[in-house]
Amino acid sequence: MKTTKLFFTALFSLLFIIPAMAQYDMTALEVVEAAYNRPTGEDMTADLEMVLINRQGDQRVREIKQYGKDFGDVEKTIMFFLTPADVRNTSFMNWSYADGRDDDQWIYLPALKRVRRISGDSKSDYFMGSDFTYDDLGDRHPHDDEHTILRMEEIDGVESYVIESIPKDKNYMYSRTVTWIAKDKWIALKREFHDDRGEYLKTLRVKKYNEIQGYWTVLHSEMENEQRQHRTVMQFKNVEYDTGVSDNMFTERIMTRGL
Amino acid sequence: MKRFLLAIIVIGVLGQGVFAQGISLYGYGRTYWGGFVQHDGEYSILQNTLDLRFDHRGMRASFYANPVVYHYPDQDLDILLRQAYLDLHFDSIDIRVGKQQIIWGKADGVFITDILSPKDLREFLLPDFEEIRFGINALKMSYYRGNSTYEFVWMPVFQKGMLPSDTSRWAPRKPGFFAGAEYDYSNAEVEKKFENSQFAFRYSLLASAADIELVAAYVWDELPTNHVYRTIDPETNQITGLTVRPEHHRLGVFGGSFSTTKGGFVIRGEGAYYTGKHFNTTEPAHIGGTVRRDYLHYLAGAEYILWGATVGGQLIQETILNHDDYIMQGRFRNTATFLISKNYRRETINIELFSYYGFDDKDALIRPKITYDFADGFEILAGANIFLGNGTGYFGQFEKNDMIYAKVKYNF
Repeated sequence: MKTTKLFFTALFSLLFIIPAMAQYDMTALEVVEAAYNRPTGEDMTADLEMVLINRQGDQRVREIKQYGKDFGDVEKTIMFFLTPADVRNTSFMNWSYADGRDDDQWIYLPALKRVRRISGDSKSDYFMGSDFTYDDLGDRHPHDDEHTILRMEEIDGVESYVIESIPKDKNYMYSRTVTWIAKDKWIALKREFHDDRGEYLKTLRVKKYNEIQGYWTVLHSEMENEQRQHRTVMQFKNVEYDTGVSDNMFTERIMTRGL
Repeated sequence: MKRFLLAIIVIGVLGQGVFAQGISLYGYGRTYWGGFVQHDGEYSILQNTLDLRFDHRGMRASFYANPVVYHYPDQDLDILLRQAYLDLHFDSIDIRVGKQQIIWGKADGVFITDILSPKDLREFLLPDFEEIRFGINALKMSYYRGNSTYEFVWMPVFQKGMLPSDTSRWAPRKPGFFAGAEYDYSNAEVEKKFENSQFAFRYSLLASAADIELVAAYVWDELPTNHVYRTIDPETNQITGLTVRPEHHRLGVFGGSFSTTKGGFVIRGEGAYYTGKHFNTTEPAHIGGTVRRDYLHYLAGAEYILWGATVGGQLIQETILNHDDYIMQGRFRNTATFLISKNYRRETINIELFSYYGFDDKDALIRPKITYDFADGFEILAGANIFLGNGTGYFGQFEKNDMIYAKVKYNF
């Protein structure tokens, strides 16, 4: 009896499990790491436009100029808010560390005339009222989640790994995400988010991407929040890499002086 | 009204010209209506504001001017130039010269090392952050090295803070013996000459571990000390009158502040040591009714994001060193501030409660407000200022000045 059971277990493994593992040339973690480590240049400048659209179709537009630079152990980003008028000349700076510690963040509000340190722990906050949280805009470390390849699937004609990611931190704002990562380009072309109660929340779709100066770059994406019946269109323009952005760009001087 | 129209025409003409020269024009228009709750619904403020910003930014030089027009019913227009300055940019140095607001320190709603721009206290602490400060004529030189900034400020002319008139509902309570006293303003002004210049220095560092500021300043106390002098009849040796002589005094200020994050908390601290501060005494006979004492002012505060709301608090203490019982202000004055602020509906609605609490007099100022971004640039705000206390404390003295207000603002 025991021998029979072992035989069927081995047969099941041969027929289903081992082929399922063998059909992917990479593990889920390797795929996610490839996306995480996708080359993005030493530095980057871009103009960002966000259009916030509510269920009635009313639109609000936010325009930002941003600069980023990779210093190896720390990645620094500075953003200058151009519109709407009430946030004009506001700037925001983020230092993100490779060792995984919390980001350092500062905001300069022209009405207050001083740079204020803010909590880098508020990654679940929505960025400027959009459907993107601060965490959605950054790169989540691959080791923060458990990853599984669900299947291979073509999305807009591009073969992609479909990866399910479950956060190790049970208090994280998402209980599960499913991401379509383009093979060879390592861009996340689509991502579905499920909230902390396990309910479907929103979907990110990349509408346009290009290779700019040898770096694959998302130029147009849309986040559609099903629960809130709201969506955000995000477009990057004038993207440039490796222009030699000065180290001094990421300082109090530039935050207060602006563009 | 003619002046208002003239201002609009001038601004319009300027607006046509400035764009051609690469100057941006932006600002806001605002209507602000407020009423007292207790005084039979008397209006506390009916104000229309046009705030303009002319801004040109270049690689080597920049220009900024901020004229503001306030309109009140049945009053002349109040036109002021809040700021107007030129910036010169060098590799590691910026020089700013002109009328400018200089804001130092990390405290919210409390002025400890933030002592350079004089304050407009004509409506107590109620005006917006930007409007409660005047610009000062100054030359500011900033030298940058890495994440450090070394700032030197020379203010050739002293500008005093503004206090409410004696007839204003915001006039601060004065000691009883001031009643009937005559005022002599002969010493109330500081002469405009080099030796009366003010100087200040700041070092600031923005770093991962903490942000730090160190400050040293040799300035004038922006608010005058009311010296009280007796008039004595030489024949009878009787006191025949009292004269109050407001006078500004030199202050030496040394202080600093820091800000850091720990476990999701933003922790702030700020403190300063003042030399040359003058305090009123309870006895008019005591050497001009004032004494000079060194003084400490410091706070510790924290801020945290809790269920999407920003929750913060600060504990503030003022200490008069070598205190004597006859000094009117107690040895210690303890105050706390509390803030809770939360955004709703994609940051289009903000509900905020900011309050001060005075431990010594058990009085408070509670400031709830709600702001609604009706459309991009359009903002509707409603709020209240509620004073609690028994009529004697710093906040409680205005217990009958509870007010509700509304503002409509358009940013362009």
